Amino acid sequence: MLMEYSTIHSIFTVILFVAFVAFVIWAYSKKRKTDFDQAANLVFDDEQKAPQKNKQESGHE
Amino acid sequence: MSQTNTLNVDYNYRVVRLFALTTVFWGIIGMAVGVLIAAQLYWPALNFETPWLTYSRLRPLHTNAVIFAFGTSALFATSYYIVQRTCQVRLFAEKLAMFTFWGWQAVIVAAVITLPMGLTSSKEYAELEWPIDILITLVWVSYAIVFFGTLVKRKTSHIYVANWFLGSFILTVAALHIVNSMAVPVSAFKSYSIYAGAVDAMIQWWYGHNAVGFLLTAGFLGMMYYFVPKQAGRPVYSYRLSIVHFWALIALYIWAGPHHLHYTALPDWTQSLGMVMSVVLFVPSWGGMINGIMTLSGAWHKLKTDPILRFLIVSLSFYGMSTFEGPMMAIKSVNALSHYTDWTIGHVHSGALGWVAMISIGAIYHLIPVLYNQGRMYSIALINTHFWLHTIGVVLYIVAMWISGITQGMMWRAVNTDGTLTYSFVQSLEASMPFYLMRFIGGVFVVAGMLLMAYNVYKTVRAKEESLQPVPAAA
Repeated sequence: MLMEYSTIHSIFTVILFVAFVAFVIWAYSKKRKTDFDQAANLVFDDEQKAPQKNKQESGHE
Repeated sequence: MSQTNTLNVDYNYRVVRLFALTTVFWGIIGMAVGVLIAAQLYWPALNFETPWLTYSRLRPLHTNAVIFAFGTSALFATSYYIVQRTCQVRLFAEKLAMFTFWGWQAVIVAAVITLPMGLTSSKEYAELEWPIDILITLVWVSYAIVFFGTLVKRKTSHIYVANWFLGSFILTVAALHIVNSMAVPVSAFKSYSIYAGAVDAMIQWWYGHNAVGFLLTAGFLGMMYYFVPKQAGRPVYSYRLSIVHFWALIALYIWAGPHHLHYTALPDWTQSLGMVMSVVLFVPSWGGMINGIMTLSGAWHKLKTDPILRFLIVSLSFYGMSTFEGPMMAIKSVNALSHYTDWTIGHVHSGALGWVAMISIGAIYHLIPVLYNQGRMYSIALINTHFWLHTIGVVLYIVAMWISGITQGMMWRAVNTDGTLTYSFVQSLEASMPFYLMRFIGGVFVVAGMLLMAYNVYKTVRAKEESLQPVPAAA
């Protein structure tokens, strides 16, 4: 049987919401921390000497 | 502050330099035209009874010049710079990159010629006629090829978050421009939109608001995520938050357009949807602002000595202010008061002059010494002066428009007990006049700051290589 548009939209909204929550959990999982700390330092990675680069490691987050 | 020593990557700075210099040039032109039309609202005789000097023709020139000439040149310059530096690789398709520069300048010159002539498609922020629209499309597709081509050949495994914002800005603007500019040409300089009625209005504001969302927000957030950490010398406050910020922002912005069409022929449910999405948008906007400002946590003292950092951080404060104001104005009952008044103009300028211009100016002050092998700008004191001129100018401007706008809204809706209007339109105009003068003065401050910037940039570019030594860090 053909589903009504509003039903499809409601299901889609729920899927999006669940996906967003899953995504936030992924972003904040402990496993990702070192990768993200590295990524955050990409800004400084192409400098020959980056004096302030390593000071931060434990400062943020 | 600006480390000129980099890994052994030979970056293409030529196209970045060209765009950085034109950013300053078009900034002065676009803002000066803005000051002229602000003066015309106070002294109407300033149109000299000349058709191509009238407000109606210069206003689109002003908006096109500041958004597409000043702002977009800044985005070209910084995106080409950021994508190379964070991917540690030279630009892809460099000839195509040069084409984007000359092509984009041709678009701007065409706008400067055709808009005062009165050639317009009459779509706000998309006034340029169809031949220019085709050139914009060609330049933009080339831009995408250069940018994404550089991402593809990157030497790093991760794509830094700034590039995500810049990439979404490039892709979305391509889609917005092509869909909104669909038109049937009837002659070389005249075309008619293929959309009609309420659909045309909705397409126009889907375009209009996402030009704000993706060009004036996502693009400049990309700039923020590179230059704020770089200038502060510390990584962004939370990289995780920046990822959530990105996806939440782009997922929500695309739906906010209908708030430009409250109480119009647009279906009621569409207006309500636009209102709700606009209000929710407050959350990722402030997430991003907090992420940028908190990057300075533990290093606030740098704001005292570094006017470039001050430009960047104050731009984020204006971003926070206007992304609080925007959702509020998108609420239907508030919009009933604010729409069609000067409050809207004030809101736009707190975003445009506060957020977009200040983050661009800060980024250009950071870039110029790096691009020209100098340790710093010619004069730090002049940057400081520019900062204060600009800040005072913006505050004068937006306060004037708040007062004028709310006054207009209150006077227009005032009714007598018998149902007739209390005030005529001209009475509300008279009430606004002092604030038009105040706005004009604010604009003069901003342009004066830009002229100082031009001088400072000129002296830095012409200085003997490596003659300007960096200031020893205070910390």
